[in-house]
Amino acid sequence: MPQSASSRPSWLPASEGGAELMGLKSQWDTGRLPDVIGLLARLILGVVLIWAGAAKVTQPAKSALAVRAFKILTYDVAGYVGYALPVVEILVGLLLVIGLFTRLSAALGGLMMLAFIFGISWAWAHGYSIDCGCFGGGGTIAASQTKYPLDILRDVGLVICAAWLVARPRTAYSLDHRLFG
Amino acid sequence: MRPDAKKKIAAAAPKKGPNPVIIGAVVAAVLIVGVVVAILIGNSSKSGTAASGNAVPVGVVGGTGGGILVDAAALKSSVPTVDVYADFQCPICGQFEKAFGPTLTAMAKAGEVNYVVHMMSFLDTNLGNDSSARATNAAACAADAGKFGEYHSAVFAAQPAKEGDGYTNAQLTEFATTAGITGPALTTWQKCTTDGQHTQYVADVATTSGKAGVTGTPTVKLDGKDITKTLTTADALITQVKLATK
Repeated sequence: MPQSASSRPSWLPASEGGAELMGLKSQWDTGRLPDVIGLLARLILGVVLIWAGAAKVTQPAKSALAVRAFKILTYDVAGYVGYALPVVEILVGLLLVIGLFTRLSAALGGLMMLAFIFGISWAWAHGYSIDCGCFGGGGTIAASQTKYPLDILRDVGLVICAAWLVARPRTAYSLDHRLFG
Repeated sequence: MRPDAKKKIAAAAPKKGPNPVIIGAVVAAVLIVGVVVAILIGNSSKSGTAASGNAVPVGVVGGTGGGILVDAAALKSSVPTVDVYADFQCPICGQFEKAFGPTLTAMAKAGEVNYVVHMMSFLDTNLGNDSSARATNAAACAADAGKFGEYHSAVFAAQPAKEGDGYTNAQLTEFATTAGITGPALTTWQKCTTDGQHTQYVADVATTSGKAGVTGTPTVKLDGKDITKTLTTADALITQVKLATK
């Protein structure tokens, strides 16, 4: 825009300062590097979600048991969550992998991860010895076999992926870009 | 028409190409249908063990899905109650039985404690077999013959070294003999076991225990309070029971 120079705040140095800021801004908006970072975030979060969902979806009873082992929800509600969660994980994961409704899918994925972090912390804080059941399995295990810090660390990493995509849903090779421009 | 009006109309008109709202609606519909179907399948798999018999075994206390009272005819209000939740295929339950079973049985026989055993069967789900449910049904049939405690011990004594190997029907019959079920009682036991007469009870115990917050085995409750983590030795158990006795 031709007026931009004159509308620049007077405290900015007249030379490159403003232009550099503008450059960073447009790099964030349309740059190739952030697009590729976004693509990676999308694929990591999406593939992990699909993997986690697929490991559980064929065994609903086991999945319900894994949710019940956290002792957060009531018996029946935990059952419904156990049955539904794998399906939701797979669908949100698929949306992320193809890059459709990226911001919304990432927000859902991120919220799920936050819920998982809460659940794992809850079990850890209460001294339960359980497998998180994140990728199948689940239920009571020996105290020496628990790996709460690792589970939480993994989920924090996935929350970061989700947060990036919510903040900047534009990614390389996304269906969003192809369909909606 | 003003000169720029045409442009404005063109900009306001929907762009050519797919409509995000329609795609969004389709995705949402797939999600909802998927979730509903998953819950329906999950619920049906839960009640899948169609009851061929729904008789409640002898010795069950605390409702149709309650545990079986060991070595006593009725609950005594004057002594504490120890509820043990276990699964015949759970290795730690086998170790628990070895370490605490004889003590609990002795105290039950002496009338010092109400020893109630809840046999769960969720490991069938985890291990992909039906040994826990079959063994629990067989143990419930032994309860009808007044030999639950003996049968229960016999099963745990023969627990396979490898979790998941389970129990054969022939083994279940051996346990009946070990438990001292003989003659006509053995015939009745065999029929009860083969017909799965307590299949519904087995499912009820699993559900009732789950609703009582038992999500892992073994779980031990003293007068309703979970004391599993405090049980290091048999003496620790005896001390706690004595403390709870008024």
